[in-house]
Amino acid sequence: MIAYIIRRLLGMIPMLFAITVFVFLMMHLAPGNAIEAMINPRIKDIAALKQQLEIQNGLNLPLPLQYWHWLINVLHGNFGWSFGQHEEVTQLLGPAMYNTLILAVLSEILILLIGIPVGILQARSPYGKFDYTVSTASFVLFSVPYYVFAIFLIYLFAIHWHVFPAQNSVGTGPLAGTFVDHIWHAMLPAISIALTNNTVYSRYTRGSMLDVARQDYVRTARAKGIPERVVYSKHVFRNARIPIVTQLGFDLGGLLGGAVIIEGLFSYQGMGYLTITAVSQRDYPVIMATTLIFAVCVLLGNLVADILTAVVDPRVRYN
Amino acid sequence: MSLNTNQLLSPQEEMSRGSEAKSPLRMAVNRFLHNRMAIGSVIVLLIIVLLSLCAPLLTHWNPTTQDLMNVSQPPSAKHLLGTDNNGADLLSRDLYGGRIDLLIGFVDMIIVMGISLLLGGLAGYYGGWVDAVIMRVCDFMFNFPFILLIIVLESIINTTSVWLLVGVIGITGWPGPTRIIRSLFLSLRDAEFILATRIAGTGTWRIIVRHMLPASLGPIVVNATLQMAGLIGAEAALAVIGFGVKSTTPSWGNVLNSSMDYFTLSTEPWAWIPPALLITLTILCINFIGDGLRDAFDPTFQK
Repeated sequence: MIAYIIRRLLGMIPMLFAITVFVFLMMHLAPGNAIEAMINPRIKDIAALKQQLEIQNGLNLPLPLQYWHWLINVLHGNFGWSFGQHEEVTQLLGPAMYNTLILAVLSEILILLIGIPVGILQARSPYGKFDYTVSTASFVLFSVPYYVFAIFLIYLFAIHWHVFPAQNSVGTGPLAGTFVDHIWHAMLPAISIALTNNTVYSRYTRGSMLDVARQDYVRTARAKGIPERVVYSKHVFRNARIPIVTQLGFDLGGLLGGAVIIEGLFSYQGMGYLTITAVSQRDYPVIMATTLIFAVCVLLGNLVADILTAVVDPRVRYN
Repeated sequence: MSLNTNQLLSPQEEMSRGSEAKSPLRMAVNRFLHNRMAIGSVIVLLIIVLLSLCAPLLTHWNPTTQDLMNVSQPPSAKHLLGTDNNGADLLSRDLYGGRIDLLIGFVDMIIVMGISLLLGGLAGYYGGWVDAVIMRVCDFMFNFPFILLIIVLESIINTTSVWLLVGVIGITGWPGPTRIIRSLFLSLRDAEFILATRIAGTGTWRIIVRHMLPASLGPIVVNATLQMAGLIGAEAALAVIGFGVKSTTPSWGNVLNSSMDYFTLSTEPWAWIPPALLITLTILCINFIGDGLRDAFDPTFQK
């Protein structure tokens, strides 16, 4: 198992290399650069100043050399200096990653807390009234785009009932709010992510439970006289959870990388929001950092999904 | 669609009567026409399409004309849904806006399915290194924050025309369906009827186009519909964070985005509820049609 994990981790390196090279080239193909975005165009001798700043920041070097410098710095844990926000990139990444982590975990908890029990209840009495109603409702819910949910949630919870804030989030450091404060700000974005996704999970759970419930060992369990409740919770769910756990790993990876649109919509200061601001400011160092972290999160999520599958399903062996 | 629905029978009845043999496609069409939700969705979707195509006939307001003396007006006889923050008529913006979203959904569906049929078909048919290369590129696209690609490409080409957005969404959306089509073709590759055509000396392209493609038509059509549902929402998703088409071009996402301030959200529901409802209704209809198609092509499919 450990050899497998190490092999997978090493296998990520070419992918990460390709992604960072691609982003690097893309950012340098884009017209304009951070220097142009930073200085006032009405300054006297703008060309000289630009040149001086470019030399200072190493932007006049050939591209491969620039990439090389960036790579060496990253390997030393230095993501560079943000042109847009005039701060160390690592300083920006800390609070953003913390906020995104809160959002990802909170929305995943909401998804699992609603999605899985609903799916189990549906599978307990398939093709019944409850099953039919919930299936239709989740079909409709699934069709509502998450940003539409978000807007309705802002309208109801933030504007009408003043329950949750609709904007911003608190950072870390001396000005940070309490942990509860963080959760409070993450509530609406998390609910909007969860509302669409828990229908996916309830559908998975239902389908997987029904598949497993047909198997012979479940009939044996029933024949032994085990109460129906225990048959479902102990025997059926243990095997039915395997595809759900795999999906969970994938989703968590994507969410930890930053939910760009939801974070942008709620001005939630996580990784996604950081990326959006950085792109509009041509802030290469920040974009390179967030892209790298996004890719690492997705790749790690895939790895975690595979590991979790092996954990809940002893039949799966990696070597 | 010259089928007379009165003469259609359910599959069971047809079997018991021993009626004449029908092609699988014909049977699928019959089943689809009997699905009430799907047919209802087709009608609603057609109405939405017609509303946006015939927008000039339905409203005499120009969606881009600004009237700064009449901003943020409530609904009135003159402006049925009021005016937005720039004084443009909201009803006309909603009607004309559908054109952009439907265009993106439809054209991008074709682009995405075209690319994934080509790449997924090649990967599934040949396997081996072709498959390995195409799947690695898919992995690359999956791990890449596609929103970043869209935003950066928009700034590279430096226009925010609709067709740029169409192109960018098209070239970023294919990895998912490519994997599905690859797996479809991979399972067909070893089927006996494909072996038979190969023994008969059929060329590669003919096998792919005439034999494998029709055999996997059902899942591909269903997938294309579901893709379209996702793509319709993509413009609005980009618009709400400010990276959609320029606000001079009306689109549902733009109308939604321009009402994303506290004042409009709290006091002018007529500004943001119609576009939100239109997007949702369109996606819902397409999903119902996709669901109906799946039932039609694969009656044994258990939901």
